[in-house]
Amino acid sequence: MGLFDFAEVGFNVDNGFLEGLTRGFKNGVLCKEDYRHLTQCDSLEDLKLHLQSTTYGNFLANEPSPLTVAVIDDRLREKLVVEFQFLRNHAYKELATFLDFIKYSYMIDNIILLITGTLRQRQLSELLPKCHPLGIFDQMETVTIANSTADLYNAILVDSPLAPFFKDCISEEDLDEVNIEVIRNTLYKAYLEAFYDWCEGCGGATAEVMCEILGFEADRRSFIITINSFGTELSKEDRAKLYPRRGKLYPDGLTELARADDYESVKRVAEHYTEYRKLFDGTGVGIGEKTLEDKFFEHEVTMNVNSFMQQFQYGVFYSFVKLREQECRNVIWISECIAQRHRSKIDSYIPIF
Amino acid sequence: MGSLFRSEQMCLAQLYLQSEAAFACVSKLGELGLVSFTDLNPNVNAFQRKFVNDVRRCDEMERKLRFLERELKKDQIGVYDNGDNPPAPAPREMIELEAKFEKLENDMKEINTNQEALKKNFLELTEMKQILMKAQHFFEETLPFNDDDTQGGASEYARLLDEQPESKLGFVAGVILRSKLPSFERVLWRACRGNVFLRHAEIEMALEDPVTGDVVNKSVFIIFFQGDQLRNRVQKICEGLHATLYPCPDTSNERREIAIGVMTRIEDLQAVLNQTEDHRHLVLTQVALNIRVWFIKVRKIKAIYHTLNLFNVNIAEKCLIAQCWCPTNDLGKIQDALRYGTEVSGSSVASILQQVTTEEQPPTYNRTNMFTESFQGIIDAFGVSTYQEVNPAPFTIITFPFLFAVMFGDFGHGLLMLVFGLVLVIREKFYLAQKSADSEIWDMIFGGRYMILFMGFFSMYTGFLYNECFSRSFNVFGSSWNVSAMNFDAVTLGNASALDLDPVTPGVYRGYPDNYINGSGYPYPYGMDPIWQSAENKITFQNSYKMKSSIVLGFAQMLFGLTLALYNHIYFKDRLSIICEWIPQMIFIWCIVGYLCVIILFKWITWKDPASAPSLLIGLINMFMFTAPSKADGTFLYTGQSTVQIFVVLMIVFCLPWMLLAKPAVIYYRRRQKANRSQRNYNLAGGEMADDVPIIEQDQLDVESNSIQQTEPDPDEKDFSEIMILQIIHTIEFSLNCISHTASYLRLWALSLAHSELSEVLWTMVMHIGLSMAPPAGPIVTYAVFWFFAVLTVGILLVMEGLSAFLHALRLHWVEFQSKFYKGQGYAFLPFSFESIIQGRVDE
Repeated sequence: MGLFDFAEVGFNVDNGFLEGLTRGFKNGVLCKEDYRHLTQCDSLEDLKLHLQSTTYGNFLANEPSPLTVAVIDDRLREKLVVEFQFLRNHAYKELATFLDFIKYSYMIDNIILLITGTLRQRQLSELLPKCHPLGIFDQMETVTIANSTADLYNAILVDSPLAPFFKDCISEEDLDEVNIEVIRNTLYKAYLEAFYDWCEGCGGATAEVMCEILGFEADRRSFIITINSFGTELSKEDRAKLYPRRGKLYPDGLTELARADDYESVKRVAEHYTEYRKLFDGTGVGIGEKTLEDKFFEHEVTMNVNSFMQQFQYGVFYSFVKLREQECRNVIWISECIAQRHRSKIDSYIPIF
Repeated sequence: MGSLFRSEQMCLAQLYLQSEAAFACVSKLGELGLVSFTDLNPNVNAFQRKFVNDVRRCDEMERKLRFLERELKKDQIGVYDNGDNPPAPAPREMIELEAKFEKLENDMKEINTNQEALKKNFLELTEMKQILMKAQHFFEETLPFNDDDTQGGASEYARLLDEQPESKLGFVAGVILRSKLPSFERVLWRACRGNVFLRHAEIEMALEDPVTGDVVNKSVFIIFFQGDQLRNRVQKICEGLHATLYPCPDTSNERREIAIGVMTRIEDLQAVLNQTEDHRHLVLTQVALNIRVWFIKVRKIKAIYHTLNLFNVNIAEKCLIAQCWCPTNDLGKIQDALRYGTEVSGSSVASILQQVTTEEQPPTYNRTNMFTESFQGIIDAFGVSTYQEVNPAPFTIITFPFLFAVMFGDFGHGLLMLVFGLVLVIREKFYLAQKSADSEIWDMIFGGRYMILFMGFFSMYTGFLYNECFSRSFNVFGSSWNVSAMNFDAVTLGNASALDLDPVTPGVYRGYPDNYINGSGYPYPYGMDPIWQSAENKITFQNSYKMKSSIVLGFAQMLFGLTLALYNHIYFKDRLSIICEWIPQMIFIWCIVGYLCVIILFKWITWKDPASAPSLLIGLINMFMFTAPSKADGTFLYTGQSTVQIFVVLMIVFCLPWMLLAKPAVIYYRRRQKANRSQRNYNLAGGEMADDVPIIEQDQLDVESNSIQQTEPDPDEKDFSEIMILQIIHTIEFSLNCISHTASYLRLWALSLAHSELSEVLWTMVMHIGLSMAPPAGPIVTYAVFWFFAVLTVGILLVMEGLSAFLHALRLHWVEFQSKFYKGQGYAFLPFSFESIIQGRVDE
């Protein structure tokens, strides 16, 4: 960012209101104190009562008791969606594109969910409620007719916003389980790269904040893909194709990851990077130990919280959505623990503030 | 003193309520609305409190009521409101209510499910009917081509149909949302590689979505294709885009038969639907009659349990302990309420109210009525007064409209405002009953109706003084000027629309009989002389008058504020502040601003010869420069002026250290003495003292059930440097403010000038044009121009200028007036009252 870069000067003209609003929403994110109260609840009714005193307010007031976790999940998600849609409807120019980018990841998830569901002979009506409302688009539900990726692309996705991400995975092969995972990751890779490049093109604080977050997202995917690929029929060459080529691991780390054979070797790759070494250290599945996944989540939360430190940039919108999502996961986790009377693990949520 | 002068005296009381009587007592107190309970369990989670289950039950009941209310809204049935305010039902009635709501909700839900199913059925049948009709149409369209298929001009569609027998052309028919049609068409074309043929037609009538009840527009479509694989594909796409497929027979005869069947079924269904609708309506009208009362009941119960949750539960003695603030004067009423509550609940043990002493600052409670409410609101908007300090509201009732009027002085505009205020006040009951008007702006205007009335009235008064009515003057008493004495020549008189009036000209003023033989002997009896209306130098004359009167008015108000400070000091027995702060402040303000006002008035009253009028401004500057006043530079006013002025300036200088140092010095001295004394005492008492002190404090804490916050540290115990700094700030602030606030009152002049100039411009630029035209066109133009004038008068002069004058009056009160005595560090008394809870004014 040069000395005479005045990109931020005009930021508030188009986005000031929404940024302020988002920061306001962020202040409503539950804090440690709230979680402490929530974990003390004995029943979901108690949980509802406590959530009433937070910014969630009366969002469960119109639900007949007894409450179920599914209902809470729906309402939480609905709140996020309402807030996001409000932002999206008022967004302008670049911010609109940015918010659309956030939506694309949900679209990818939805498509993959539908294809997998259809492969397993599930009914569409059963699958639809599981789709994330942020990722719903018109032609989405017709993906069930496709037998191959080429089909999928030509018939359905060609005029959806996902089309550009799809160009790498068009083939005439029939869809099957492994295939779908590959498609998901290829799609995601293309999506991340596109999003990353777009943010970089924005320049200024947006690039600074978002490239870090998206870079981490890319690296996390590379790690997870590698770890999950052990013991599957995925070849190393194919695996290497799935790594998003952005972030800190690119290019050296990725080359090394591509050669990895077991968890230890992945860990060795991470050793080279200070922030990733911390994440791999002391992970485990026992009580009191945190899984690698949780560690990644924690790191993500820290980054997203930090993104609010910078002003005049789009990162706050992304971070807000991600923090809200994490919060939903936390509340659901706590609710599940309460509902199933499985309190020993109730503290394994990921605190945000 | 009137109750508005100081806030109500409050006391902290503890209530001991028998468990069984608690509900009835709290219910009675809620109706009374005179106590505000403090939370005795601040550390207990919301869901760990005793009556949380009851609150939850109320929530559930409210939810059911909300559900019913939504249903009412859906059917557009108005809620019946007879103004009833039922008391909170006893806890045992709650079960009845619960059962009643439960039944109603279930009934309603059942009716809804049935209706939904029926409607869905109805929708399907209607869609089916539409398909059959349109399909008939699609097929018939092709018939003419069938006859002459040799012609090359036959449509593609016709040829497709022709081939039907050989290639087994299949088709499906269905209905889809009109908005989805374009993407449907596209997906279909792409997924089937253009091998299907789609025809569609809009359904003209709007259909109702059975689940949401929304009106939706749909289209009928029919798709032709070849082979089973394509059929599969098409069906999947239809499913994906939520199109409903219906079986449609091939031949027109069959279609006709089915159509007839569908028609009869639709008719049957319509009858059933109507019946369900009637039943639903019946149930809902019953609900509409009662729902308001139910809501009130449930909210009251909920509020009671909420309050009970704040109480301390004493399990051993089976009683609840509550702590509350209440006005001391109303203790009798509260005790009556408790007695009544105990009686109603049939409890044998009386509820006890006990006053508790506390160091905590009590809340501020000013009893207002409809009239004083808005004025108190203005004060509270700045800051709620410290407990029992002088409340400026009663004075504001007069000073606020008056200062407003000084800036808004116009008889006509004032009259319009007065009429508006009067309408609001007279039709008050009507507007109050019409609660539906929930626009915030309207609430604000209506809330300030008495203020508007007063502002209108005072503006008429000042308008009368300024002799201005829509910028024109009345000549009631006859002018005191003799213009002929000016000896204008004929040419000047003939050409000019306004002339300079020079008071220096001998004989021009009838006020002095010695200058003018036929002098009336008096100036214009009241307000401005109307002659100024036509004078060129009107503004110069008025400026001098308005500027000086603003300063005099300002000084009067500031002096009044300072006097109120004395009342505060006396009331709080703060003798130190009187001697070391108030007296020097009073001298200071009199010497600086007061002296100026005195010479202004002196000049007005005594100066007869306009030619040698002294300049006050230069005089004032010279005073501070210790330059002796002389007739030569026009600063001489009276003999002995020089001595007086030197004395005044010396007093000002002398007051500064007095204000700055006296109070801290006394505090410092007292502290040292106290420290010496306690040192001695401590030595005498030996070690015992040290043990005693904490025990007593501990006991006191227990009595007050641990809820009272730590007592505020005594003001004396503040750090000395802090006291010194505060004193420095106060002194600097006060002395600078004496100048700046006085200058700030000049806004009275500025706004008044702006207002009269604006209205004059409006008159001459608009109304004058119409009035000065000759008869044929004149009246018509005047009529047209009048509306323009009227709209601008109301829009700009009344609303915009009124708002700006209002704001400036507000500022003068908040800053210039209240800074002299008002601390505003209290917190408002928010009584537990059903009335405000039901009206939704209180958030739980």
